[in-house]
Amino acid sequence: MTDKPDNAETDDQAFADATQMAGSGELMIELDGVDKFFGDFQALKGIDMRVARKEVIVIIGPSGSGKSTMIRCINRLEEHDRGKIVVDGIELSNDIRNIQEVRKETGMVFQQFNLFPHLTVLDNVTLGPRQARNMPKKEAEELGMDLLTRVQIPEQAQKYPGQLSGGQQQRVAIARSLAMSPKVMLFDEPTSALDPEMIKEVLDVMKELAESGMTMLVVTHEMGFAQEVADRVVFMADGEIVEVGTPEHFFHNPTEDRTKLFLSQIL
Amino acid sequence: MDRPTAFELGTEDPMVVDERQLHHEKLPPGKWIQKNLFNNWYNSLITVVLGVVVLFFAYRAISFVFVTARWTPVTENLTLFMLGRFPRDEQWRVTAQVIIWSGTMGLAWGAAVAGAKLRALQTGIPYVEDSTLSKVRRYWGLLLLLGMLLVGTQTIGPLVVVIVGLAVAVALFYVSSRVPGRHVGYLWAAVAFLGVFGYQIVSGFAGNAWLWIGAPVAIAVSRYIGQRDWDDVRRQRYSQAAGVLGVFIVAFVVFLFFDSEGIGWDQWEGFHLNLIAAAVAITLSFPLGLLLALARRSSFPALRIMATTYIELIRGVPMIALLLMAQFFIGFFLNTSTPLSLITRALVAMTLFTAAYVAEIVRGGLQAVPVGQVEAGQSVGLSAIATTRLIVLPQALRAVIPAMVGQFISLFKDTTLLTIIGVSEILNVRELAHSQQEFRGFGIAETLVFVMFAFWAISFTMSRESQRLERKLGVGER
Repeated sequence: MTDKPDNAETDDQAFADATQMAGSGELMIELDGVDKFFGDFQALKGIDMRVARKEVIVIIGPSGSGKSTMIRCINRLEEHDRGKIVVDGIELSNDIRNIQEVRKETGMVFQQFNLFPHLTVLDNVTLGPRQARNMPKKEAEELGMDLLTRVQIPEQAQKYPGQLSGGQQQRVAIARSLAMSPKVMLFDEPTSALDPEMIKEVLDVMKELAESGMTMLVVTHEMGFAQEVADRVVFMADGEIVEVGTPEHFFHNPTEDRTKLFLSQIL
Repeated sequence: MDRPTAFELGTEDPMVVDERQLHHEKLPPGKWIQKNLFNNWYNSLITVVLGVVVLFFAYRAISFVFVTARWTPVTENLTLFMLGRFPRDEQWRVTAQVIIWSGTMGLAWGAAVAGAKLRALQTGIPYVEDSTLSKVRRYWGLLLLLGMLLVGTQTIGPLVVVIVGLAVAVALFYVSSRVPGRHVGYLWAAVAFLGVFGYQIVSGFAGNAWLWIGAPVAIAVSRYIGQRDWDDVRRQRYSQAAGVLGVFIVAFVVFLFFDSEGIGWDQWEGFHLNLIAAAVAITLSFPLGLLLALARRSSFPALRIMATTYIELIRGVPMIALLLMAQFFIGFFLNTSTPLSLITRALVAMTLFTAAYVAEIVRGGLQAVPVGQVEAGQSVGLSAIATTRLIVLPQALRAVIPAMVGQFISLFKDTTLLTIIGVSEILNVRELAHSQQEFRGFGIAETLVFVMFAFWAISFTMSRESQRLERKLGVGER
């Protein structure tokens, strides 16, 4: 796979490669010609992308390139203006039930954590299952404690988010998303608001999650994480996908000048 | 000083702030005066000049209250001020109401303490009980009013009411604050039950009393069933519905036998009326204002336009104009078979007026909740309604407590405007007192001071309590 010709890389081939790597041929997310406007400004220009089940995609690019907008379109926090988005066979339309279904299947982790400050950590985690899935309280709390153990902060269950460090808060946010048993996890710069010494604890949780076979789309500036964990790296600039490839291809042998420029600036 | 400050340790780290500045540490009185009042010549001058002015007015005020003032128009008419021309042989109803409501407050306080203890147990933040002294300091305005009434009273009756009321309140506080926190829901149901019961004592058990009293009990039953760990959500829902229905049927049957006519509130007068009118208007305008605020931010244009029009219309007119409308013209709009009493119409006007202001206050709170909170709610699969109810509103309302309490204090004081449309609230009753032969043109300032003091004592307590609530809700968050 390392010796494939650089210029012959099409998106479909990359997809085929990726599915081989992830060991699953099922299509999880499909974006087809997605456009998104903010007023006159076009944030996304004809985005085409396919993500297979169990695949880990890392999206990088300069700020303002549309990375966040793209993954926010996938669970309809932003509404796309043209094109088609299908998540696990459900096409996003204006039908609120479709949107709800997609949101129940996609977890989202935000840059600013967005934990609910008026609820305890455990209540933050159990709110989704109890409200959206009608799970009985006891069962939800058992699930919540399991997940908090998984992100290694069970002892903080009864505290409020404001009493936790940034890294702990972000891990609670991950547990909160996992509580809905999502099929896809979206990460919108999960470590950008963290102090350097807390980034690792969050990345470790994300690595563990990737190893467990979760389908993940991660917008991040952590190149080490991309090299280590990603099945494919997507480079975006000015609302377009410029280049897609395996981490080796992307970091060691990029095709596009735009990519080379970007890498030269950050590495 | 317990710990040496950074300054005393000799560190010059600019990041270490002197603790005295952070915590406003108490200086001995002499030093405090020197530091804050006489630290340079012009400050000393200002202190001396203002001191003379303050002392002068304090002297005049004290000599008025204790020497020149003739308080007989107040003390002779205390019952009149409190109850107006409420039928004297039905006065036991008000006495019973006051005692029941004291008990309700004790119970509510105890329930709050029990809840706080539970939270402390769960979160590990230790619960610190208030000392008796701090409780007295909390309510000193109210206690001063109570003490004044007792000193001024001419009969033994009020003394008995106060002692029995306090005893009931303390007893219920003692019991309820020791109830295990997981049962705190029942305590609040009991609070609601007693509150309504107290009201019914005066207004009678006729009509829909069973509905009013059944509701809090039904909520408690529903919560109790809801807390049980049942796997089958549907079975749980049906049981809750059956329980709620059962409570209402039992309450209905009980109150069929309890039926008794009370005093319609068109006969309520005096300070009693001011208090009840404010309580009713606050209770009704809050949910209405909340709905208006949500409607104004709704994505449905029809709702948004209606709410905006209503709010801007009501906020643009004086309350007195609305009250006069209520007095004269509401009959034209509401074509009811039996005419509504004047007080009811006035209360409708006050509620509608306050709701518009509450709506704007709540809207401010809604806007202060970061959009990320809504996105987080949506992304864990909550519906729009659940997101608003469970995530946005709790944070928004917490943020607007001070403004909201300010509005309610203002509403409480505005109940005196009812005098303009001829409702016998306390200012109107004061006129009555002075229309008696022996008090005509006598002690006019004194009665006014008394009225002002009564309003101040309660408004001040409300304000203090809201500050406290604000501090408490901030604990462990953000």
